[in-house]
Order: sequence, then structure tokens, then C-alpha cells
Amino acid sequence: MEHLIVNFIHIDMSIAFQVVLLGFIGGVLSGFIGSGGAFFMTPGMMNLGVEGVVAVASNITHKFGKAMVGSHKHGEAGNVDKKLAIYVLGSAVVGIQVAVFINSLLFKGGTGHGASKGAGANLYISLVFALILSVVALSMLRDVLKNRGKGEDDSGPSRQIADALAKLNLPPMIHFKVADVTVSLWVILVVGIATGYLAGTIGVGGFIGVPAMIYVFGVPTAVAAGTELYLAMFMGAYGALSYAFQGFVDIRLTLLMYLGSLVGIYLGVYGVKVVNERYIRMVTSLIILLCVISRAIAIPMYLRQLGLIDMDPGLDVYFNNISKFFLFASGITGTLLILINVVRSYRQRRKIQKSIRVVNSSSTNVTLGVE
Amino acid sequence: MPIVLISSSPHGSGGELAQNLAKKTGWPLYSRDQVVEKAHETGIKLSRLETSIIKSPVISENLAREKNLYLALVTKTICETAKNGNLVYYGRAGHLLSPGISGLLRVGLGSALEMRIEHAMKQLNLPQEKARDYLEKLDEDIKKWIHYVHREDSQNPLVYDLFLNLQHMSIENATAILYETALLQDFKFTVESQQKMDDKCLAANAKIHLADHIETSGMDLSVRAVNGVVTVTYMPRQEASADHISRALEELSGCRETICTMAETNILWIQESFDPKGKNFDQVTQLAKRWGAAVELLRLDSEGKDRSQIPVMIENQGGSLSLKTDTGGVEDDDADTGYDDKGLARTVEKLVALGRSAGGFPISGAGREVIDAVKDNNNYSLIVLGNLFLSKGNETSTRLTRELGLDLREKLKVPVIASGELHSRFLFGKTQAFKLLGFILTTVLIYWLVFTFQKPILNVLGGDLHSKFKWAASIGVALFVPVVAYVYSTVTGLVLKIIDID
Repeated sequence: MEHLIVNFIHIDMSIAFQVVLLGFIGGVLSGFIGSGGAFFMTPGMMNLGVEGVVAVASNITHKFGKAMVGSHKHGEAGNVDKKLAIYVLGSAVVGIQVAVFINSLLFKGGTGHGASKGAGANLYISLVFALILSVVALSMLRDVLKNRGKGEDDSGPSRQIADALAKLNLPPMIHFKVADVTVSLWVILVVGIATGYLAGTIGVGGFIGVPAMIYVFGVPTAVAAGTELYLAMFMGAYGALSYAFQGFVDIRLTLLMYLGSLVGIYLGVYGVKVVNERYIRMVTSLIILLCVISRAIAIPMYLRQLGLIDMDPGLDVYFNNISKFFLFASGITGTLLILINVVRSYRQRRKIQKSIRVVNSSSTNVTLGVE
Repeated sequence: MPIVLISSSPHGSGGELAQNLAKKTGWPLYSRDQVVEKAHETGIKLSRLETSIIKSPVISENLAREKNLYLALVTKTICETAKNGNLVYYGRAGHLLSPGISGLLRVGLGSALEMRIEHAMKQLNLPQEKARDYLEKLDEDIKKWIHYVHREDSQNPLVYDLFLNLQHMSIENATAILYETALLQDFKFTVESQQKMDDKCLAANAKIHLADHIETSGMDLSVRAVNGVVTVTYMPRQEASADHISRALEELSGCRETICTMAETNILWIQESFDPKGKNFDQVTQLAKRWGAAVELLRLDSEGKDRSQIPVMIENQGGSLSLKTDTGGVEDDDADTGYDDKGLARTVEKLVALGRSAGGFPISGAGREVIDAVKDNNNYSLIVLGNLFLSKGNETSTRLTRELGLDLREKLKVPVIASGELHSRFLFGKTQAFKLLGFILTTVLIYWLVFTFQKPILNVLGGDLHSKFKWAASIGVALFVPVVAYVYSTVTGLVLKIIDID
């Protein structure tokens, strides 16, 4: 891949369009799933030839600005528990620092076997990515399939670990007024470090942060989302500034991602309001699984670059293209499924609104109906 | 007409005290145990609800429905048992039942833990340590129950009218105190509180009817009753089952009319007076149409001027609604009852005509009373505060409105907005059009600059210049990125607002 300046690739119209598209798809998924989006955008950029660490850095910078705007809006609605955010942030900083340190070390150091620069970090990011998201997707899919046909809409995600952590009443217990919950400091530390580490490594901290706040801490969903965004603003800022200091932030990628993501996120959020809960989980888990497969396909390429396996370098292009195909197929299919539902319900809503009629009647009868 | 609600801890002396009072007065006695039994007979999965509350901080939608049904059953039971005007109820969180109704005597009891342990040891045949652990665990679970079911802090003293410490008082003396207190004028039921009680009972009955009906049992419904008129809101996705709502409520006694409104969400609009021809009405309904929301009106009488007047919703010829003052049985030939409902009925009527009504009701008081009145039905996406505390002067009114907003936002966890901000925040007008144009131009300029001067910018971010001035990249990113995000998100937000996706 041609580089304009050291770590930064040359961006032509085709790449620019693909980054905007990645941003849009990531935005739709992020708005729809409630957190993440980076799981698509980070590997997507890597497939376009962007170094893994630059992709993570540019994505975390993109997240920083997005979270700042989002948390401001949530703050106006009273959905941000700043005290809780500060506690989680304190431990998340440790997690982020560990992640930045490992990424930088692998990127600069290679393996000492003359491996290509960045291959170590790419491999590491891909492995963490594949491992964590496989667990998330498979657990989600298992719950959807397990509860299929039960009729009750009580098919929440598996909560064994969350329930066990929630029951831990290890002192000191801390009360959070806005979220209206009391949680053990030790539980907050565990969740914070895990969130920070994942945010710093693959840019997907919200995958752990939001469910943990809801299922472990017992925070209301809206407050969890608002607090996570407030937290993401600081974590994003910290990650962005650290990566910028190291020289890995490509501001052009960040700006191009915004073009798509800020439109996509609105549509994704709208989709959640109009699409069935089980469908949301099914689509989400399938998208994540396909992303994991896409990243797993790229792993042999990095292993070869590190000299850990013997493979024809000419095959790299095939691995890269297949990986790219899976990623775009998952994102585009998922986004299309969401958008079709969004458009359908948008049109249905308009139709219903136009057809509202009033039926006057006296006692014990419906006064208003829909034609 | 005293209704005494006693909150007692397990293995405390609540039961004994309640029985003594009932024996002394002849008032009917009801306990939580009887409600639990009734709940089981009705098919409410109470034990599942209790286990869930204890086990995990998150309750599923199904269990939330179960909770609402349980509260409806308790309300119905209290209303029916207290039909003759008197009742002694005791049990867990008894003082928190039927919130928002004045004239009830809400009593808390403090019993020594040692005495409770002794009682538990005898009753459950437990050794002392086990009995202590059992009670401590039980108290903790009840705390969680109160927090989830009643959204209250079990330690809040403001929810009691009377708290008796039984550590240094005999049950007989406590009974005497309760009896004397219950007879005070403050704990007599007024016609206003009776009306509210009847409405609560009607709404509770409606919820139970809807839960019993197979086609409506799984629906997400919001139910409110005001002066015999039951308003039910349902989600658009449940449109096909909407007809079943009226069928389920056909046999509901005491119901004069049912209004069903399809809504994706609810907006609560609080004002001292309403005008269906006013600017605020237009803006609220415009927003409700965009969101597919139903609007619930709450007329707040902050000075309590209405306490002496008794509003009763009457149906005029043609099915329209109006409010009438109770005349104590004396019929007034004049159609004008003299009671000024400050536009409430007319505005509800207009909302019904627009298909946006979630009902309307008046209350007297301030923050606490508003919260008590709406917390059982809290499914709002937005609370709009209009003209309030008008008699207090402009500055005081602004301050009190702001304080009320903060209070509601904290307790109900719902965004609160002043009606004056509605247009700028949620609607699209000329100002927003100019704003959109300005922000589009700024966005274009930013992107043009970045992509025209790529090389020098990237040089600072990761090239030769970066190695000399590493902090410049960090500072640049910290200052630049939030500006881009803000400017461009404003553009997308406004554009999507134009096409009603927000």
C-alpha cells in the first residue's frame, strides 16, 4: 500500500468512499446494537491497507468526538451518572494504558525475526478481536436460539457471571445517586479495567461497559448508555491523545468516518425503536460472527509476516480479499436488514398517522381508533 | 373514614398492633399475607418477581408487567375492603400503597431486632444466630423490594405520617395513639381523595381486566382513570389487538368511557392552565405527532386552591367532556358549575380529537405530589413544564419551575424541558434553517481545508514535524475533533429532524 507519510496511506476517492461507507455501516450498527461499531470499522480499515494501530488510533479518535456530542445530549436528559463514570474511568485508564503499551511495543518491536513492521500488533489485535467477539456473539446467538419458540419475550442474555458479580457485596460499597444503585468498589475496578483494555486494544469498550453497568450494577439502560458515552469521551480522549502523541492518528480517516457514522447512528437508534428485540439480537450476533470470521481469515497472513508459518507471500492478497469480502458482506447485509426494517416502519408510521380517525361513542366504548 | 396503612417488619409487632386496632374499632383488617394469597389465586407470579428482585438488579419486561399487576391487585383489594370507609392494613411497605391520595394514615413501626429474633426463633424453630442472619437477609431483601416496586428509599421519613418506636411502648398504648390519630381531621377522607381513590381503583380494575383477557394480556399498555374515564395507550405494533382493549373493558364497572390512543410513547405536560388554541398546545401536539406520542395533561394547582372544590368529569351532550364541582347533592339548574378547570377538559377533548390523548387530571401540591401521581404510570419520554407557580412572580416562578424539573428528572429519570425550549430543541423552524445552513458551510470548509492541506497536517500528526513537536499532535486532536463532531452532528441532526427521524 502506498504511503503518503510514514504510517499514513494515500487516500484516493475509492478509499475515501469505502471509509465513509465503513463509518456509515459502523454508525448504523453502533446505533442499533447500542455500543461498538468499531468491531466493523477497525478491521474494515485494516482491510483497506491501514496499519492496525493507525486504524485503532483513528477509530478511538473518532469515538472521542462522537462520545462528546452524545454524552452532552444524554447529560441534558439526565442520563449521565458522573460519579459512576469517574469511578469506572479511574480503573479504565489502567486498562487503556496497558493496551496502548502492548500495541505500541508490538508495532515498533516486531518479533526480532525481521518481521514486517506492524504485523505483530495486527496479529495481536486480530486475536483479541476474534476471541472476545466470538464469546459475545456465540453467547448472544445461544440465548436467541435457546428461547426460540418459548413465546415469552423474556429472552435476555445469559447473566450467570453478571448475577454472580452483582451479588458480591464486598465493602466498600458505593452509592451512585443518578443511577440509583449501590455497587462494590471491587466490582467496579474489574469492569473498569476490562472496559479500558478492550477500548484501547480493539476500540470496543462499550461491549463490556454497557452490559456490565446494566446487568452487574443494575443501572437503568438509558443511564448506562449515557454514562458509557461520558466515560467513552474521557477514554476516547485519553486513547486519542496517547495515540496522537505516538503519531498514529490519521485525522483524515477520522473525518471520513464521521461523514458516514453520524448519519448511520441516528438510523440505527431509530431501528431499535421499531424492530423486534429477538430480531435485534439475531442480526447483531450474526454480524459480529461474520466479522470474527473475516478477522480470523487474516490471521495466517500476519503469522507469515512474522515468520511463524511458512506460506507463499503471493497468497496474502487472497487472504486479504476473502477477509475483506466477509467483513463487507456482514456489515452490508446487517445494515441492509436494519435499514429495510427502518424504512418499512417509517412508511408504516406515516401511513398510520395519516389514517388516524376519531370514533365517538358513549360509555365503555373505544373513542379512538385507527383506520 | 380512616384508612390506616401500617408498615411492619417481619416478626415485628405490626400484626399484633393492627389486630388490636381492628378489634378496638371494628374496622376491617387486611394483611399483606392475604394479598399474596389472592395474587397466587389470580395467577400473578409473585415469588418469581420477589426472587428476581433479590437475585439480580435487572428485571425483565415480563416481570415489570407482573409488578404492575401486583400493585393493581393491592390497590383493588384496598379499595374494595375499605368500601365502607374504614380499613386497617398491615404488611411490608404498607405505608407506600396508594400513593398520591391524601387522608390515609401511613404508619411506620420500629421494633427491637432482639425482640424480632426471639419471635423468629419461636416461630421458625431456629437457633439465635440463624434467626439473626435470616432477619438481616430478609430486611435487605425487603429494602430491594421497596426500591424496585415502590421506587422509594425505605429509610425516607417523609413517606410516613406517624412513626412509632415500639421498643419503649406497649402495644396497647401504641394502639391508643393510632386510634386517636386516625380520628383527627387530617386523616378524614375528603371528596377529592375519595374521587382519587375511586379513580385508582378503576384503573387497577382496568389493568386486571386487561391482564385477564387473553388477547390483551401480553400488551404493553398504559392505563389511567380520571373521573370514570379510562384512558389506555397502546403501541403501534399492537394495532391489530387494539379492538380487544375495548372488549376487555366492556364489563368494567364504574367506567363511563374508554379512550384508546395508539402511541409509541407518552409526553407528560404539566401546567397551571391549558389553552387548546395556545402556542404551547400547537408545539406539544406537533412534537407528539412527530414522535407518535400520546400527551397526558397534569394541571398543577400549586397553591391548593382546588382542594375545597371537587372536580368531577361530566359528559355533555355529544360526548364532550367537562368538569363539574360537587354540590353536596344539591342539583344546580345552571349549567355553569362555577368550577374553573383552567382549560383542562377542553384541551383533553382537543387531544382526543387529534388522537393524541393519554388523559388529563388535576392535582394540588408540588414535586412530591406530582411524583406520587405519575410514578405508577411512568412511561414518559419527555416531561414538558409550562406556566407554573404563576402567582409567585416571574423570578420565583422560574426558580420553582426549575427546581420542580430537577426533582422530576431525578426521581422519574425522564428528560424534563420547559415549554419555551420546545421549539428550539425539538422542532424545525426558520432559526433552525439558518443554523443548518451555517453549519453545512462550516463543515464543507473544515473538510476542504483538511483534504487540501493533507501533507502538512499529516506531517504534524506523524511525520518529521511530529517527532519534534509530539504534543502538538495531541493538542491539535483534542481541540479539532470535538469541533468537527459537534458541527457535523448538528447538520445530520437537523437534516434528520426535517424528515422526522429523531
